[in-house]
Amino acid sequence: MSRGALGIRKTGWDWVFTAIVTLIYAYLMFPIVLVVILSLNSGEFLALPLRGLSLRWFGVLFADQRFTAAILYSLRIAVISTFVNAVIGTLAAIYIAQHAGRLREQLRLLMITPLLLPEILTAIALLFYFYQIGIGDRYSVAIQVGHVVVTFPYVLLNVSAALFNFDRSQKEAARSLGAGPWMTFRRVTLPAIKPGLITGCMFVLVISFDIFNVSLLLKSVGRNTLPLELFDYLRFNFDPTAAAIASLSIALTFIVIFLIDRTVGLRSLRF
Amino acid sequence: MKGRVLSFSQSASINRSIWMIAPALFLLIVFLLLPYVSIVIMSVREPAAGVPYGTGFTFAHYWHALSDSYVLLIIGRTLMIGVIVTMTTLLLGYPVAYHLAYSRSRWAGLLYVFVLSPLLVGVVVRTFSWLIILSRNGLVNQSLIALGLTGSPLPLVNNTLGVVIALTHVLLPFLILPLLGNLQAISPDLSLAARSLGASRARAFFRVTLPLSIPGIQAGTVLVFVLAISAYVTPAMLGGAGGRTMSVLIVQYLIESFRWPAGAALALILAAIGIIAVALYVNFLARVARRLP
Repeated sequence: MSRGALGIRKTGWDWVFTAIVTLIYAYLMFPIVLVVILSLNSGEFLALPLRGLSLRWFGVLFADQRFTAAILYSLRIAVISTFVNAVIGTLAAIYIAQHAGRLREQLRLLMITPLLLPEILTAIALLFYFYQIGIGDRYSVAIQVGHVVVTFPYVLLNVSAALFNFDRSQKEAARSLGAGPWMTFRRVTLPAIKPGLITGCMFVLVISFDIFNVSLLLKSVGRNTLPLELFDYLRFNFDPTAAAIASLSIALTFIVIFLIDRTVGLRSLRF
Repeated sequence: MKGRVLSFSQSASINRSIWMIAPALFLLIVFLLLPYVSIVIMSVREPAAGVPYGTGFTFAHYWHALSDSYVLLIIGRTLMIGVIVTMTTLLLGYPVAYHLAYSRSRWAGLLYVFVLSPLLVGVVVRTFSWLIILSRNGLVNQSLIALGLTGSPLPLVNNTLGVVIALTHVLLPFLILPLLGNLQAISPDLSLAARSLGASRARAFFRVTLPLSIPGIQAGTVLVFVLAISAYVTPAMLGGAGGRTMSVLIVQYLIESFRWPAGAALALILAAIGIIAVALYVNFLARVARRLP
């Protein structure tokens, strides 16, 4: 006997509901699948049906110095953002969970403000600010700081969630047995927060690789991230090379989702 | 003196561990709070030629913006897009959140990836895909013409319609995920209890599950509305002149015509409108929730 969502025998309505929900899932995935399929077209156009399967557009993409430079630049910014936020986000999460007294809730709220403020406003604010303090768009400082700020909450939120169930007496036990603070951190706290730390870092990596507004307003002249390069390319071109760029970014996302699922499980994510 | 007394070891531990929060505080104060103050200051700067802003101060940018009929048109369009996208994401997102929350299907993990992955795929990529689907020679128009349903291509991009369709897709996960968390916390036993007492399935849903999920609806819709009225990439890429929104206009002021003070004033007007709209809406939902049984 087939059973519906609430364990009640399925009726006609259940089938209607399932059909509607299936359509919405298809709507969610369709544009993403479509881009990947079109990037494999051997023909000249972004259209179905495909003329044939080929990787020629990926060849075009990797032969173009603009795109390879943009990929490396995006990766550099994303990796630096990940390292910086891994360190300061973890420290902040531990402080809030274990040391903050009365100000705990206010601190927590302050720490997630980058998520509550629209990215475009933060980008505008940083544009004015870096110009006023005389740094402007030099040395990629502005764009890097922008990425760090906007992606800051992800490590903090995921490590905080891991610390929520952490038993502090374990830490005290380690200390009373003679472990120093560093040893206690490495052998007791770190293993407990590891899943949250991994998830948070993966999030920072992907989101920093993908975000656009901050990069648009804070970039240095002549240096484009991959999303900026794709945006510029689409102003004058509309061919499968663009789909190949998009597919690379999609591939990165799915690699990360797969890694999170394999290491800590997707259900542990925090936003 | 406050009545609260800290033990010696507790206060010592607070003082010794303050360095742990210091880098994060530094980051958020120096590179988030101070920059936001700089928007406010920039919005009252005088305009200048050759440089982004002048030295004097003026409130003129606000009056200029609010008395310019084009700016008012764009504000109206931006709000309309925000309201429509919020409604369409709720309509499409609620069934998905409900399904994911109570599904015991072995596909549930994969379906969760379906909801999550659009969130992690960049917005430029997703909007590009909608451009392929909706453009003049895009998939939809080609199919409609091939099927003989229309003679000439339908205008699906360079207008508000295209922006709404693509933004609904871009923002759907932001509605589903908070609502999912809320629905998972509601025990299915409550709805079953209502059914066992004779309520029809629809009645059990509207009288039990739906009212209990209002906090989730509120979180999701507020998030979607704020993201919709501040979205830049989607209206910039497929809105054209007919789908131009506040964010697009602001960025134009900032990087094309270098009118930074006027752009800052527009940005603050957008922020103020967003805050007022969200406050009215939250107030309205609270009154609806009180009227419910």
